[in-house]
Amino acid sequence: MNSRILVVDDDPALAEMIGIVLQGEGFEPHFCADGSLALDAFHSVAPDLVLLDLMLPGMDGIEVCSLIRAESGTPIIMLTAKSDTTDVVKGLESGADDYMVKPFNPKELVARIRTRLRPVPVETPASLQIGDLIVDAAGHEVKRGDQSINLTPLEFDLLLALASKPSQVFTREMLLEQVWGYHYKADTRLVNVHVQRLRAKVEDDPDNPRIVMTVRGVGYRAGAAG
Amino acid sequence: MSSLDWRSWTSWRYLTGRMRRGWRASLQWRTVFITVAASGAAIGLVGVYMSVSVGNDLFQSRLNQVLVDSNRATTGAQGILDSSDAADRVQVQTLLEAARTSISTASSSRLVALFRVPGQEASTVAPQDSSTFGTSTSVISPDLRASVQDDADGQLWQSVALPADDGSLVPGIVVGSQITVPVAGRYELYIGYSLADAEATLLFVQRTLGGAGLALIVLIGAVTWIVVRFVVTPIRVAAETSEKLASGDLGVRIPEKGEDVIATLARSFNGMADSLESQIKELAELSEVQQRFVSDVSHELRTPLTTIRLAGDLLYDQRSTFPPATERTAELLHTQVERFELLLADLLEISRYDAGSVELESEPTNLVHLAEDVIDGMRSLSESKGTPIMLVAPGGHLDAEVDPRRVRRIVNNLIGNAIEHGEGKPIIVSVDSNESAVALSVRDYGMGMTEAEITHVFDRFWRADPSRKRTIGGTGLGLAISLEDAIAHRGWLQVWSGPGVGACFRLTLPRQARGQLTTSPNPLPPEDADAGGFVSTQTDSRGDHHV
Repeated sequence: MNSRILVVDDDPALAEMIGIVLQGEGFEPHFCADGSLALDAFHSVAPDLVLLDLMLPGMDGIEVCSLIRAESGTPIIMLTAKSDTTDVVKGLESGADDYMVKPFNPKELVARIRTRLRPVPVETPASLQIGDLIVDAAGHEVKRGDQSINLTPLEFDLLLALASKPSQVFTREMLLEQVWGYHYKADTRLVNVHVQRLRAKVEDDPDNPRIVMTVRGVGYRAGAAG
Repeated sequence: MSSLDWRSWTSWRYLTGRMRRGWRASLQWRTVFITVAASGAAIGLVGVYMSVSVGNDLFQSRLNQVLVDSNRATTGAQGILDSSDAADRVQVQTLLEAARTSISTASSSRLVALFRVPGQEASTVAPQDSSTFGTSTSVISPDLRASVQDDADGQLWQSVALPADDGSLVPGIVVGSQITVPVAGRYELYIGYSLADAEATLLFVQRTLGGAGLALIVLIGAVTWIVVRFVVTPIRVAAETSEKLASGDLGVRIPEKGEDVIATLARSFNGMADSLESQIKELAELSEVQQRFVSDVSHELRTPLTTIRLAGDLLYDQRSTFPPATERTAELLHTQVERFELLLADLLEISRYDAGSVELESEPTNLVHLAEDVIDGMRSLSESKGTPIMLVAPGGHLDAEVDPRRVRRIVNNLIGNAIEHGEGKPIIVSVDSNESAVALSVRDYGMGMTEAEITHVFDRFWRADPSRKRTIGGTGLGLAISLEDAIAHRGWLQVWSGPGVGACFRLTLPRQARGQLTTSPNPLPPEDADAGGFVSTQTDSRGDHHV
């Protein structure tokens, strides 16, 4: 089955062009040109991935992103004409998994989409422990005791990457490669923002993390099991 | 040196130091001091003049009185003597006593001396010399006596110092004349007058003058202080206000009071500040509008550019299926869209710097690792040009607080330029550090630049040689952005070069965020530089708002 991709962009030429590229790569694109209609489109299309422009008529892309994220972990890739820090960080904080700055090229776009649709398989045992959490790799589930914690696929990948090698310190660049599929220097803010989001969900006290530990000047590592 | 001395010494030094500072720093102090000094000198002169003239006057009037007095006494005594018929020694003696008493009474002076004029024939009748001057008979000087002896009818006087009762000396006058004693012959008569009263009067006058003068000086000082304060305070307010204005606080104004010249100053100053403020606001708005426009244009261009990019790449990927001319067209479209994209990105970055909206995202960064990464990334380009790149890092293996994205961009740019202009000769990248700074130099041995070219090398869209073939296809903004990046770090980006000897670009960054640079760990010109070559002087392109 072809993956369905919802393209939310108000520029018809760009949307059509993205559609042509996606169709050429075997995806099934759907379109929405208005921010206020985006959530309805999301419901009716039930896409596997959303390409979301930040500047939209009707409703701001960041708002759309938070609304989708509130009810689903579906991967969202922001398309932005601004690489300004505040906009990118705002977009990531509202739940976007990744972002692409216009202008991007088709290969890059397709690579980003494929990474998010088929997360890099990490060869791991079925169940891992990180801190007081149990990570069920096969079932895509994280539990603290009996309580299940709801993570987006990206957050799950991030946690799994850390948990699979508890003794290793991951630099932001390593995580970018392993989780986001970047094979070149990319924006390390992606890692920072998503670690914050992950901590907000899995840590008892996000200001005093026990699961995802910061190694100052280097990166992150998993907290001790137990 | 005793402790007391030491203390008074230090307090004296403290006081003089304070005064010196006050003199330099305070117009008020200086004005008061000068006024007091000048009026003090004037009052002193007047006082001395008055004191002298009063003294002269007192002396003169006392002298006249004394002369009249002594004349009367002498005449009276001569009368007594002339009307006598004394003949023998005792009678003459008695007569002379009577005359002396009369003199004492008439002249109200206790100091009377009688000396027989020498050179007369000896007489047994003549009474002996007598003097009530006592031990101070010597005040009657030989000069005076000689004059009196020579002048039988004259009245001669001399100023002398008379011993007072308490042993001190008081000014006095001795008046000398001759009297004729019957039978005994001529006698010199000396009458001494004390000027103690006049002296006391003069002293009183002098004290009064001195006291009044001092009081006057203090009063003048106080009045000057107050008056100067009235004038200086508004001037100081004006000075402080203009200082604030100059340092960028455009809202400050001087309070306007009254109609005097100070108020006029305040009003015109405020008028100036008003127009300055409005003009600066206007300029700032204009510049903001312009920067926003550039930024908006760049953003608006991005969406259609993305479409073009996607379309171009799609065509480019299928170019092998096209006829040759169309295939070449697709290639050109592809490369030129890429170039356009880079240009747009650089333009946006520059506009961000111009708008002052650049914020560093500093994190601990190892400059050696960063340089290694960049060199690795450039490997394919440098190999295609046959240019070996060597990294020399005697220092710099430490984490500096810098924005790695911007530093990477600078290093990328410098190495890219070196490859492009290095004519295939080796490139040496050296990293070093000292206690406060890290530095990275990129040395190439290519064609180099002239002094004139060096001054433009950081200019926007400037190219060393417009006809030169471009291989990397830079936008012409690379070094301008690099310089902005360096300045945003409070760092330096400098270049040394000369025609035919290559070039050396040196980036120096403070190790701590917001640190200050004083020296660079790397030398510029580079150590292997021979004579010739120039170093750029600029480290700050515009020196304006964004720092």
